[in-house]
Amino acid sequence: MLKEISRKNAIHIMLVYTGGCNGCDIEIVNAVLSPFYDIEQYKVILTWNPREADILAVTGPVTKKMEPALKEIYAAIPEPKLVAAIGSCAINGGPYANLGGDLGSSDQIVGGVSKVIPVDANIPGCPPRPEDVLQAVVSVVPLLAKKR
Amino acid sequence: MADVDRKDRAEVEVPLGMVHSALLEPFRIRLFVDDEVVVDAEITYDTAHRGIERMMEGMPVQKGLILTERICGICSHIHIWNGTRMVERGLGIEVPQRAHHIRVIGNEMERLHSHLLYLGHAFEILGHETFSMRCFMFREPVQNMLFFLSGNRVHYTIPVIGGIRPRCDIDKDKKQTLLAMLKSLDEELKAFGNRVINDTLIVSRIKDIGYLSKEDAIKYGALGPNMRASGVNFDWRIKVPEYKDNFDFEVIVREGGTVLDRVACRLFECLESIKIIKQALETLPDEEPINVGYELGRMGYSTSYNEAARGEIYDSCSLDDLGRIQSYINRTPSMSSLSAMEVSCIGDHLTDATITIVSCDPCLTCTNRVTVVDENKDKEYILEPEDIRRLARRKI
Ligand code: SF4
Repeated sequence: MLKEISRKNAIHIMLVYTGGCNGCDIEIVNAVLSPFYDIEQYKVILTWNPREADILAVTGPVTKKMEPALKEIYAAIPEPKLVAAIGSCAINGGPYANLGGDLGSSDQIVGGVSKVIPVDANIPGCPPRPEDVLQAVVSVVPLLAKKR
Repeated sequence: MADVDRKDRAEVEVPLGMVHSALLEPFRIRLFVDDEVVVDAEITYDTAHRGIERMMEGMPVQKGLILTERICGICSHIHIWNGTRMVERGLGIEVPQRAHHIRVIGNEMERLHSHLLYLGHAFEILGHETFSMRCFMFREPVQNMLFFLSGNRVHYTIPVIGGIRPRCDIDKDKKQTLLAMLKSLDEELKAFGNRVINDTLIVSRIKDIGYLSKEDAIKYGALGPNMRASGVNFDWRIKVPEYKDNFDFEVIVREGGTVLDRVACRLFECLESIKIIKQALETLPDEEPINVGYELGRMGYSTSYNEAARGEIYDSCSLDDLGRIQSYINRTPSMSSLSAMEVSCIGDHLTDATITIVSCDPCLTCTNRVTVVDENKDKEYILEPEDIRRLARRKI
């Protein structure tokens, strides 16, 4: 009980950008966390430290270069944790998924986030509207509270 | 063996990145520090390489140009505009003046939101949360204007070969609303600008640091506001006919070359942008916004330059008989501003380095596009998200 309440009152989001176009990234940091949309009113706070994060938000297709880093960050986050893939790039690679065309996959891009770490929530859009992100986060928070 | 030399001179090496609160984008900067003074800096940026140019090879040009927009989510309009402009120049396609006006409006709104984002980010790194939030608050109306104009907050896709997309056309109601939105933004921004420039706290923190001399700016190829803040008077907007022939504006040049000048330069550029948008809205010619009577075909090598929010942007490519893209090249301003950023960190206190980096406005997603990734060479990556913001606050 106590654990649930305290967890619900301080959700920390860590944002990792794995090689997208910056669009999703900026929408999260500077729109959703800005005073206009203000996600902090739901007690959701941005952090840059994986040890204190609860939700890992990933934007952009995962490049080969960022793959080990992403895995390491994921491992560093204590349980319980959720992963949200934000934007079409993070969901399935977006326009970059088909980099090699008919010739096969790309040398630089691994693909969507789910190919690297397990994903709990997908927020589609290029980039998703801040309202959508807000709604997704608000609906995901109870999940986190229930997790042990 | 440059690396060995650096380590000899420096006591400690401070790596920032790949994932770091001051940087947002994944790149790593290694600062070589001697008694808290930065003696050398080195940037590694190849994490976000996605190979867009390679992907565009052989694509139909209309499709390929939409992809250029996905190079960057901050300056998306200028990429597609410059690409379209290049094809139009190469094939000699006529574009109605109304379309030019709306493209300019798109670009200036983008400059506004990019500069406001920059200011917000800079103040956040300085630890001045109030100003930072004010900037993000100013940015929302601009994003709303863009949303209102085109239907998307980030990737607007306004230009298309021959003109603009009909959904981005500005009718009478749209014009009135946009003008009203601009007016209130203009007033608020002017008041805020005054407040920032006269704020002793902010000014004492950012004056005299991150110095980039005029010679260095030219030598290392700083571009855009970074270059103009160091006293180099150049802006592609005074050369590009879309701007030159129709609008009346000033190029902001400052002599100082410090972080303060870079911040002030962008603040004043915001006001100039509002001026241009106003003029464009008021003098919008009454005609069809798109010319559909063109034929695609073989095009020799064509180029186009333009002024993005961060400086000069260059596109070039050629088309084959069926109008498919061949060897697309896109050079973005951050590419060459980065080396200037390395230089301007040197000689400062360690705590000033992050604001210097941010004041040069690095945007890595476009720069990474042209970097060759050699996976075997550089396997190391550093995950040290120490909270630099806390450090910065202590300094104040
Ligand atoms: S989904 Fe769209 S906005 Fe988001 S990173 Fe990918 S291309 Fe950019």
